Amino acid sequence: MSEADIGINIWINEERYEKLQEAGLADLAHDKLAGMKVLQIKCTEEQKDKILEKFPMAKYDASTTRTIELLPREVKDKIFEIALKLKSTGPEVIDEFLKSV
Amino acid sequence: MSYKGHGGKEIVENVLEKEKAKEAIQGLTQIPVRRQIAHECISLSYGFFTPLQGFMGYNDVDAVCKDMTLEDGTVWSIPIVFDMSDDEIKKYDIKEGDTVLFTYMDAPLAMFEIEEIYEYDKKFMAEKVYGTTEEKHPGVKRTYEYADKFLAGKVTLVNEPKFNEPYASFWKTPKQHFEAFKEKGWEHVVAHQTRNVPHTGHEWLMKYAWFAANEDLTVDTLKTGVLVNCIIGEKRKGDYIDEAILLAQNMLRVAGYFREDVHMVTFTLWDMRYAGPREAVFHAALRANLGCTHHMYGRDHAGVGDYYGTYDAHYLLKSVKDKLSIKPVFILENWYCPVCAEVTSSAFCAHTKEKQKFSGTLIRSIIIDGVKPTRLVLRPEVFDTVMECAEKYGFGSPFVTDKYLTDRQPIFTLEPMDVGKA
Repeated sequence: MSEADIGINIWINEERYEKLQEAGLADLAHDKLAGMKVLQIKCTEEQKDKILEKFPMAKYDASTTRTIELLPREVKDKIFEIALKLKSTGPEVIDEFLKSV
Repeated sequence: MSYKGHGGKEIVENVLEKEKAKEAIQGLTQIPVRRQIAHECISLSYGFFTPLQGFMGYNDVDAVCKDMTLEDGTVWSIPIVFDMSDDEIKKYDIKEGDTVLFTYMDAPLAMFEIEEIYEYDKKFMAEKVYGTTEEKHPGVKRTYEYADKFLAGKVTLVNEPKFNEPYASFWKTPKQHFEAFKEKGWEHVVAHQTRNVPHTGHEWLMKYAWFAANEDLTVDTLKTGVLVNCIIGEKRKGDYIDEAILLAQNMLRVAGYFREDVHMVTFTLWDMRYAGPREAVFHAALRANLGCTHHMYGRDHAGVGDYYGTYDAHYLLKSVKDKLSIKPVFILENWYCPVCAEVTSSAFCAHTKEKQKFSGTLIRSIIIDGVKPTRLVLRPEVFDTVMECAEKYGFGSPFVTDKYLTDRQPIFTLEPMDVGKA
């Protein structure tokens, strides 16, 4: 598997932050933009291509952030739940997500 | 009052009064046109594209492609053309010298005096205008999709569009822009080009541009304004809906982030070509025709993908600046700096490791996630306006969806008119 250096940003509101704290993952959320916290799930080039294929509305921002953006909220919710379950933000989260869609 | 636009040319309105129009269109062959052409007819007729008064002929297109000028030497960067297939030309029995009636949404729109029917190498056009022949470039794709013949001639509006709200509140013809600036006492006006809901990075680009445009004008009474001239045209899935763009831009002034006397929002009907540097030059002509004295250009102006360098638009504008009727204002990107604790310009802030860059895509993803941005990212009134627009105009989404594309409220309506028999 290639290097997992592409991100999927899960923006953290209060509800999500509480769940992160319960899972002991709150430290993984970091300040991304002017006080807005984000949990970044890492994925590989191969995973990125699969996600863009399955969710054509999504966009890969190659120039600024190297992140996959514009994924539907329910997709982000699902990825977030898997991250909590696996207590991870690594590419195994996306592997499990891709198995479920 | 003087209405001098791009190239020092007078703004001319080719718009017939209703009674004269009814008479003039009797018996003309009716040709339904698509949205792009309808919008361009409106823009041509009111003078948004001065000195053009109609669709371009071969010599103008050739000069645009080869020299980035019209045949008479006026700087012009993008072909404004009307295309038709041989079959359609045959079907409507069209020839040079004819006058036909363009219809749109089943109503008369404009008279078109056909001066020339010609062919042009579309691949050559694409390469010269967009710097590439790759079809994945949206401007190139549009060029390749043109039919094989082009028709040139003067366009005269016979049925003025009646804009629906919220568009009606932001619609101004070029002459009305000049008059509005005069009424506000603006001696300098800096244009801000946008198809976006404004985040604070955009807001500060406009504010820095105001300072640059104010130049040596005294500041006891402010005489410089920012014109936010939104582009309303072809929409793609994922874009902000048009209503949200207009109302959110306007909210910056309504909510006091800009003073009432330094800010105005209007729009132009135009399908973005994403021609990067050449589109930037087109914007200079367009906004000169609205009476603007300055035009703000940030990084990656009007580009797409990685076809153009970050500041290519600046370099091209600089190369023709003596031939433009507007002064370009070049601005570096803004970012949020947690050390400075403010939105700042990369021209000032040295905390390059700590910087947090704005990205339109990033902010869209925050909104999609349903997370309310901080006021240093998106002003709360702007966010609330965007979400209200989602409910009122966007079928629940602030972004363009399939449903918005098919069922959105029309931007304007055209009154039915009796056209007699062709």
